[in-house]
Amino acid sequence: MSAVSSWVSETLVRDATERRIFAVLGLITVLLVVGVLTGVIGPRFLLFQIALVGMYALLSLGLNVQWGYAGLINFSVAAFWGIGAYCAALLTAPNSPLGLGLHPVFGFLAAIVVSAFIAVLIGIPTLRLREDYLAIASLGLAEVIRAIILNERRWTAGSSGISGIPNLMSWLPLTDAATTAAIVVFLIAVVYLFLRRVHRSPWGRVLRTIRSDEDLAKALGKNTYLFKMQAFVIGSVIMAIAGAFYAHLNLYIDPSDLVPLTTFYIWIAVILGGTGSNRGAVVGAAVVIAIREGTRFLNDIGFIQTLGIDLAPLRLLFVGGLIILIMRFRQDGLLPPKDELIWPAARDESSTGGASPSGAVPDGGTSSNGGDDR
Amino acid sequence: MNDDAYEGARLDKNDVVLKTTDLEKAFGGLVATDGVSIEVDRGTITGMIGPNGAGKSTLFNLISGFYENDAGHVTVNGEEVTDLEPHERARKGLVRTFQTPRRLEGMSVREAMLVGPGPQKGESIFSLFFSGSDVTEEERANIEQTRELLERFEIGHLIDQPSTDLSGGQMKLVELARAFTTDPDILLLDEPVAGVNPTLANDIKRFIRELNEEGQTFLIIEHDMPFIMDLADPIIVLDQGKVLMEGSPDEVRSDDRVIEAYLGGAGP
Repeated sequence: MSAVSSWVSETLVRDATERRIFAVLGLITVLLVVGVLTGVIGPRFLLFQIALVGMYALLSLGLNVQWGYAGLINFSVAAFWGIGAYCAALLTAPNSPLGLGLHPVFGFLAAIVVSAFIAVLIGIPTLRLREDYLAIASLGLAEVIRAIILNERRWTAGSSGISGIPNLMSWLPLTDAATTAAIVVFLIAVVYLFLRRVHRSPWGRVLRTIRSDEDLAKALGKNTYLFKMQAFVIGSVIMAIAGAFYAHLNLYIDPSDLVPLTTFYIWIAVILGGTGSNRGAVVGAAVVIAIREGTRFLNDIGFIQTLGIDLAPLRLLFVGGLIILIMRFRQDGLLPPKDELIWPAARDESSTGGASPSGAVPDGGTSSNGGDDR
Repeated sequence: MNDDAYEGARLDKNDVVLKTTDLEKAFGGLVATDGVSIEVDRGTITGMIGPNGAGKSTLFNLISGFYENDAGHVTVNGEEVTDLEPHERARKGLVRTFQTPRRLEGMSVREAMLVGPGPQKGESIFSLFFSGSDVTEEERANIEQTRELLERFEIGHLIDQPSTDLSGGQMKLVELARAFTTDPDILLLDEPVAGVNPTLANDIKRFIRELNEEGQTFLIIEHDMPFIMDLADPIIVLDQGKVLMEGSPDEVRSDDRVIEAYLGGAGP
């Protein structure tokens, strides 16, 4: 029990503001449960939304490795997600152009292998250059992947999409909706634990150094290209896993799902949650999806109906408004990363860890307000 | 690669840590480094001065590999490193600092220091999952080394501070300490006391001297004349991309060419 409480106090909730954020999230969860119990919300619908949020959380975790850890600007989130989704759909759906009808495991494996391969392919020419080159190349990649899927009808069924994708683990004694929700929770747990370990390691430390000052990392003998490549591949593979999961959640996939909007929702989720923070990425994804899906029902509220305006299409406006509020009141995001990330097993010996009360800098030199002065 | 300069470097029997031979670099029409050949002997604090635009920073970038040279060679301990990437040169023992160190966001001073030590086991994802105890052991040793070094540099109290909270001078000290954790054969310091208050500058001078007495070799660019004249010997004077002269501080001080270069006699 004490292990759980110390995990909550040290990892999950760190100050009063975070406690309030989690309180709000808890309240929303309670309301949703009450909604299900009173029959206002269908449990099937809620489970589907949980699976959707989970999928977006995976995507955010993936982008967080690239942008949050290493500072890599990847605008092809949708493309890697689409690669994963199409790998799963093409290999497992009996009526896909390949017509293989394989076990879903092969879909996930193919998603991992193909996304890693494409990430390396894009990384080789761009990761040696300044960061903006990856941004440009990834923007192009997103369109190229979408155009290929749309036009190579023989292989991908083009715009008609692929249907008949099987459910995952339908032998479990649960409804299909409950099974997918359970699977996504499991996937997030595995990915989260993996990322938590690498983020707090010397490996993660080199990435964070690269993010602030790549030349410094080079001058200290770090092969920054290799580190960036690893971060890029890991992030892309996580995105592809999310895509493969989505194929089995939605049971249908077509190229219109690969629009750039998905990429930007994920960027918003990561920035909103707190760039560089894994828990932030998960919470950010939940907030963005809650707004996106929740605004569908605004028009059902009696008060808004009497106003006679259609509020649902304004969802992007709500997301934008939220971003402005965050930037104004909590610049580092809802749940920013810790000030110090030390390999946990090596911590106990190294004093108390955690930053001491900052501020008193006993030196008359230049004052520093976190400025980037080069 | 296999020309005479390379062979020559090899015969130096390791008395020379760093050697450049006819280094050249031009940016468009501007020749920033024009055939620079210098040697840094083991165990020295070699200073490098010169008026603004003399090519000091360019030369540093050429030596450390951040710029590609147009011609010439760089050797470390007699080994050719001209075609190596910056991080590869660092691993050969050629480590540099920067004029204005950026603060590492979201990292404590302890963490910022821990980036320093050479290839770490924990930098491999594989080791993180399959030999975690080795990583822990190494990390503990590095944390201990960090604590000792910071205490030695009299900034032990800053270890828990966010590195973004440090003053410019304190950051310079952390940089020096961190560069030292890489176990370098030669440390290239780019203006170690620029923008640092005089008290802290004196501390930095004392620490450099102490490390040097323990055998650490330095090559230092510095604009602060009293600082570098007091600390370094020999001193290399650059002007307009060329080595103007090399000698002891007294020789440099009394050399007419140096005075002329600084007073702008040769300049535009």
